[in-house]
Amino acid sequence: MSDMNVMTPAEMAATKAAVMDQVPGPEVQGQSPLHHADLASLAKAGTVLGAAAGGIQLREHKLLGHLTLRLNPENTDQLAAAERVLGVALPLQPLTSVEKGSYSVRWMSPDEWLILVPGLEAFDVESRFRDEMGGHYSLVNSSGGSTVLELSGADVVELLKRCTPIDLHPTVFPVGKVVSTVFAKSSAIIRRTGEQRFELVIRRSFSDYIWLWLQEVSREFGLVVKA
Amino acid sequence: MTQPNRLQSGGRIDRSKPLTFTYNGKQYKGYQGDTLASAILANGIDVVSRSFKYSRPRGIVAAGAEEPNAILQLGASEATQVPNVRATQQELFNGLVSQATNGWPNVDTDVMSIIGKVGGKMMPPGFYYKTFMFPESLWNTYESLIRKAAGMGRSPLENDPDFYDNVNQHCDVLIVGAGPAGLAAALTVARSGARVILADEQNEFGGNLLSTKETLDGQPASAWVNAVTKELRSYDDVMLLPRSTVNGYHDHNFVTIHERCTDHLSDIAPVNQARQRLHRVRAKWVVLATGAHERPLVYSNNDVPGCMVSGAVSTYINRYGVVPGNALVVTTTNDYGYQSALDWHDAGRKVVAVVDTRANPVGERIEAARQRGIKIITGSAVIEVQGSKRVSGVSVATISADGNKVTGSVTKLGADTVATSGGWSPVIHLSSHTGSRPIWNDEIVGFVPGKTVQKQLTAGGINGCYHTGAVLLEGLNAGLEAVANVGLNAAEVVLPTAEDVKEGAPMTLFHIPHLKPTSQAPKQFVDYQTDVTAAGIELACREGFESIEHVKRYTAMGFGTDQGKLGNINGMAVAAKALNKTIPETGTTIFRPNYTPISFGAIAGRNCGALFDPKRYSAMHMWHVERGAKFEDVGQWKRPWYFPQAGENMQQSLDRECLAVRQSVGILDASTLGKIDIQGKDAREFLGRIYSNAWAKLAVGKCRYGLMCGEDGMVFDDGVSACLGENHFLMTTTTGGAARVLEWLELYHQTEWPELEVYFNTVTDHWSTLTISGPNSRKLLSELTDADVTNENFSFMDWKQITVAGVPARVFRISFTGELTFEINVQANYGMHVWKQLFKAGAQYNLTPYGTETMHILRAEKGFIIAGQDTDGSVHPFDLGMGWCVSNQKPFSYVGKRGMNRQDCIRENRKQLVGIKTKDPKVVIPEGAQAVLDPKAPIPMPMVGHVTSSYWSAHLGHSIAMGFIKGGLTKMGETVYYPLADGTVIEAEICSPIFLDPKGERQNV
Repeated sequence: MSDMNVMTPAEMAATKAAVMDQVPGPEVQGQSPLHHADLASLAKAGTVLGAAAGGIQLREHKLLGHLTLRLNPENTDQLAAAERVLGVALPLQPLTSVEKGSYSVRWMSPDEWLILVPGLEAFDVESRFRDEMGGHYSLVNSSGGSTVLELSGADVVELLKRCTPIDLHPTVFPVGKVVSTVFAKSSAIIRRTGEQRFELVIRRSFSDYIWLWLQEVSREFGLVVKA
Repeated sequence: MTQPNRLQSGGRIDRSKPLTFTYNGKQYKGYQGDTLASAILANGIDVVSRSFKYSRPRGIVAAGAEEPNAILQLGASEATQVPNVRATQQELFNGLVSQATNGWPNVDTDVMSIIGKVGGKMMPPGFYYKTFMFPESLWNTYESLIRKAAGMGRSPLENDPDFYDNVNQHCDVLIVGAGPAGLAAALTVARSGARVILADEQNEFGGNLLSTKETLDGQPASAWVNAVTKELRSYDDVMLLPRSTVNGYHDHNFVTIHERCTDHLSDIAPVNQARQRLHRVRAKWVVLATGAHERPLVYSNNDVPGCMVSGAVSTYINRYGVVPGNALVVTTTNDYGYQSALDWHDAGRKVVAVVDTRANPVGERIEAARQRGIKIITGSAVIEVQGSKRVSGVSVATISADGNKVTGSVTKLGADTVATSGGWSPVIHLSSHTGSRPIWNDEIVGFVPGKTVQKQLTAGGINGCYHTGAVLLEGLNAGLEAVANVGLNAAEVVLPTAEDVKEGAPMTLFHIPHLKPTSQAPKQFVDYQTDVTAAGIELACREGFESIEHVKRYTAMGFGTDQGKLGNINGMAVAAKALNKTIPETGTTIFRPNYTPISFGAIAGRNCGALFDPKRYSAMHMWHVERGAKFEDVGQWKRPWYFPQAGENMQQSLDRECLAVRQSVGILDASTLGKIDIQGKDAREFLGRIYSNAWAKLAVGKCRYGLMCGEDGMVFDDGVSACLGENHFLMTTTTGGAARVLEWLELYHQTEWPELEVYFNTVTDHWSTLTISGPNSRKLLSELTDADVTNENFSFMDWKQITVAGVPARVFRISFTGELTFEINVQANYGMHVWKQLFKAGAQYNLTPYGTETMHILRAEKGFIIAGQDTDGSVHPFDLGMGWCVSNQKPFSYVGKRGMNRQDCIRENRKQLVGIKTKDPKVVIPEGAQAVLDPKAPIPMPMVGHVTSSYWSAHLGHSIAMGFIKGGLTKMGETVYYPLADGTVIEAEICSPIFLDPKGERQNV
């Protein structure tokens, strides 16, 4: 692809949608929505917040590439194109997810998927979608709008029961299941990534609230931040 | 200190663990396993409260949730005060501090009692309605006096040091109550592999089995309880919740459980432990095994301390090793009432007599009493009690077979305790919560649950089934039904064999007759907590209240914190008799959540303090905080309001910020504006239908302001949208309207125009928006980009993709201030970097951060509206003078087109938005001020509009305002007046709302 930064409007119009590499060079450090919380220092110090047992571990996966894909799931050409780009078919079963290498894809609604890729690959993946896929679809880079928290530990289900009305019993919420739901007074995309491990995709502007919330509801279990 | 009423042995208390507690300032001893009530009784304390209306001394009546009198205040410090604690449900702990709540100076010598006795005559039912409602203006005064006199406890004045928890639960079967029915049901469903929650309000499971000496399989019942509990505990999917009251049963089997986690341990919860937890349970099936409450009989002076329900007497003896008196008289209508006499006798104290209303009672318990030599007086009842602060004796008389009259002479017996049993009332509260009307059952003389739409089963006492063997079987059957209902296979459960006690039929009697008519007999209490008497209910019926719901509200029966658990059925019976109806004809009131009072803390959970509501922050928030910004709430966002410097007041700060933008360059964090990414070949068409103005010709690389209306034609949001690609637009919305607008777009797409190929995605959080505005903004931008940002290459209403401070950016040349402006959008992870780089480069231009208030002033100088401030859902674009933003040339219609062409919308003299210039340039009209044409007109003056925006403009050197005036667009130059609340009148001239640069030259350079 040509350098988007020097495209004329006419050239851009030809692409139908405006795609740009939004990530600057390595000289500019990005700040996750929880930059101010300085999780790295907490992790280094090994501080346990709340009960000494430390039954909850929290890890931020920051600055990933977040892409929202919308297309008609009955369009087999588009499904094939998505599979060519991602190396794995889009999950069509509601509330499921798939992973392939460093890519992961979450079913969000009958025509919507959230794709997470390494932060520096977002533009490349986006560009390949634009090259491979025809017809009506939308692909939106939302990398700056969210961050990912991984919660794990013996008490992680107990913790999440205090955050969301969703049933987390393993028979109902097995590994790989994903829901977009109420989280305290905000929302989160919750995916089970292990027996005792969950991934939350949370919105940037709510992330401080959710971080404070998680500290509060972890008091009975103890919260340890991991690097 | 000795405990005069404590037995040497027996009960479920641990005598090796003595505890010290304080009641009304004095220290007492109790034991581990006691409730506060059992410890109070053990110490021989008779009076625990003064009654609500008559200030009569009251003692402990019951042993559980139904207790009406022992409602105490707990707390060792101001911060830990807890009102409304039932002493019968509060476990004793070392250092517990309790206090009776009514009675002044204390419950034993109550100066109010004189007033109460006099006032009592003056306080018939309906007293408040009759007396205190007028004049209405004084109601608040009356209420506080009544409250103080009534003394229902008080809330703490300091913050609660503990934290509370809310937790969501899901299960196949929720079983409420862990008595024999609940345990049998739980065992059945648990063995079948179901997900089970078993909740019970008591500290240990067993229910009524904890209060009796009965056996199961020939062993003490506790052995079976322990074995079942142990087995239940072994299942991963079984959650056992003791100390947990199921307090609300809501629609769709949503049930709330109030768990008291540490209330039994200490005054303040141990560190990092929640004091209480509210479980929010979604259960597929609910089994109510809530048991029954014993019903006291209604006789004269039945509230004197020492009068108790019979089962409570047995509970105190058998469970707590406490005999709450020395000489007992039992008055009963049924066999069960004899049990307290047997237990009392076996504890080694004197049973004076059992008085049975039945002429010829026959049954095993009666036989057992005879064998013990207990005197039995048949065909009689205790018609009156003597004593004030403690029972001193009783009057016994024979009564007619129908129980309506006293037929013989009165015999007086000496006694200090009266145990009463009028039968049992099933605990149907939870089944009532979801609207199910209870049904009267003559056989068991009580109401049982009616039909329900919930997935609900019932077992045991709630059905009027009271024999342990039958109760266990009902539990088992409910369990089997629940297992089948959730689609599992039932495992085998073998029930233990219960004792078979032969019983005679009970007599249906509630209200014991007196020698005198009810209205003249000494008070016969129906509802202890609200001081409702049988005479009061009869009076209410005589005064014309026929519906039981009206009787309830007129007398306040069942209005206490106990919801009339003891008294309601008696009250209905008294009303039925007075109305000459049957009880089913009279009907029953129903119960509402909560079953017993619940603390606000448990309801709030963690949603308090800093977590009361989410606070949303932009990527530059920390910079604003460090810069000392004052913040304004816009929705949940915290937006910088203004950035005061040392020594500045708000207006000085605003003046400085405004002048900086007009003279050099300022910067606004506009990240909170709603941003919606729109893709698809029909994106443009969609915009044309949803906005009132035209979008067909907007070229790629261009931006346009858009106005969004509801179907009624009224403006509800606005913003600039940019054409990013032929099939790609970025819409911006107001900060507060973002979510609503996205839903609006989805609504129209999904329901009206699904054929349009378009997708919407929120990107509000994804982009940081840094708005630099002012004549030097281009120079500043040039410092940070190599791109050509000259007016020739990058003109007004263009957008460009360029690199700013090393970060790829979309820059929009749009303006809300009227100045040359660049809105720099970068991925939010890099927002702070670019913001800081702008300040580094901007020092030479005195780059000045400004907040929402300055933004409001700057846009008002230009006459730009703010949707939600200058609009209120009742103004269409033409009212705003924005007809230029309406296109009627579109091939398809647009939302609001028909609405704004309604007759009322096109009539003359609608309120229209204009500028308002005060005659005195220094005066700023308060926003909201009403406009009149004649300030001397008599009140109420005809009002012709109001001010929506009003500011001091430092740049213009005079005040500016926008507002609505009827027919305002045709009244330019005319004078209007704004009379204020303080009597002054502001004179002003109607003008164009564009106060600055009407040709738009400043933004176009």
